[in-house]
Amino acid sequence: MMFTDFFITIGHRIIACMIFFGGLSNLAAQTVYLTFKPPYKWQRIFEQAKKAGNESFPIVALVALFIGFIFALQTAYFMQRIGSEIYIASLVALTVVRELGPVITALIVAGRVGASNTAELGSMQVTEQIDALETLATNPVKYLVVPRFVALSIMLPVLTLYANIIGILGSYIICVFKLGITSSMYMNVTFEALLYKDLFTGLFKAWIFGMVIALISCYEGFNVEGGAEGVGKATTRSVVFTFIMIIAADCFFTALFYFIFP
Amino acid sequence: MIFGKTKLELKVGIFVFVGLVILAIFILSIGGFKTWSSGYRINVNFNFVNGVKVGAPVRFSGVDVGEVKKVELSFLPQENRSNVRLVIWLRNNITIPVDSSVWVNTLGLLGEKYVEIMPGTNYSDCLKANQSLTGKDPLPMHQIFNRAESILHNLDNGIARIVNKEGSLGKLIYDDDVYNQLDAFVADIRKNPWKLFHKVKEKK
Repeated sequence: MMFTDFFITIGHRIIACMIFFGGLSNLAAQTVYLTFKPPYKWQRIFEQAKKAGNESFPIVALVALFIGFIFALQTAYFMQRIGSEIYIASLVALTVVRELGPVITALIVAGRVGASNTAELGSMQVTEQIDALETLATNPVKYLVVPRFVALSIMLPVLTLYANIIGILGSYIICVFKLGITSSMYMNVTFEALLYKDLFTGLFKAWIFGMVIALISCYEGFNVEGGAEGVGKATTRSVVFTFIMIIAADCFFTALFYFIFP
Repeated sequence: MIFGKTKLELKVGIFVFVGLVILAIFILSIGGFKTWSSGYRINVNFNFVNGVKVGAPVRFSGVDVGEVKKVELSFLPQENRSNVRLVIWLRNNITIPVDSSVWVNTLGLLGEKYVEIMPGTNYSDCLKANQSLTGKDPLPMHQIFNRAESILHNLDNGIARIVNKEGSLGKLIYDDDVYNQLDAFVADIRKNPWKLFHKVKEKK
């Protein structure tokens, strides 16, 4: 009996997973379609953009600065041993611009904005406000999801740009004031190592992450069942799924770009 | 009324605008303003370029003055050989005499390749855009290794002969005979110093 239970559980999990992806794709298709279909809700897009962009900036900046410090110090540990401290600059620039900038920004925004989206939409669902929207002939996807989708997909690359420059600044502070590399030398090595493709693949990934965060958080919010407890569960699921999907998408696109632009 | 309903748009607008400024800074710094400064192109023909890549720096008297824009491989049927043409971009204020010598050099530990131009002396005849130079082929690493190996091989043979007491050098080192004779000669001279001044009578 134990075994059959085990397989039944696994089967339920797989089916639940498929339902999740199916629903997510459905929502994605509707969202993309409604994004380009007038009327455009500029006011709501700006509200969400402020929430996702401006209000996430302080924490993104702080974390990016710390990442810059940590990365410079950790690489300095080894680079000093082989006497090539100057390469810390190029290493930090490449890692931050290609990988850490987009991913750290996406994780912070997923935890901050994604969770709040799920909680907000979830409590609207629980209190039947979403049904009320439909009775008022307002498409809830158009009214609730599209502004978040547009705002996040624009704001995440912008936040990533901030994170990039602040991360490089953090490492600059360590290298110039602690390791005694001259300022102009640091800047030269940093921008010599970077290529356009590094910057733009990073920003492309950030754009994808923004859409992933918006879609998963809204999907989980729409599918809340039960009362306040359900909202809590949905929020947890939303953050966990978003984190997993961000890392998976990152892995996928890193591999893709590695083979497309060697 | 600017700070009423538009305050939200203003804040988001400033945020995105600063983001775009950062993007512009990145793009300009990565390009190094190179893309916008004007220059001209010249061609250099090689038989062998030892792995120079597009974007490799070009140095004139050891100063970075441009970069490799294209590497083109072609076959010349009349000469029956392959030719590598490097298209090189140079800044406008750089003048290169036609009698300059060009070769591919290696930079630093990691073996990054760059194009070295050693200025010639005849500044009255300078290269113009799209003119060609012929580069000196770098010595391929395997040729250097081969030569070094043959030198080492010869040296090794020579030493082996000496060690095996062959040849005059081997005999000189290992054969006591020479020493003994020299010793006897010195002892003889000490005993009979007059022998040094002895004139052998010429036979008539």
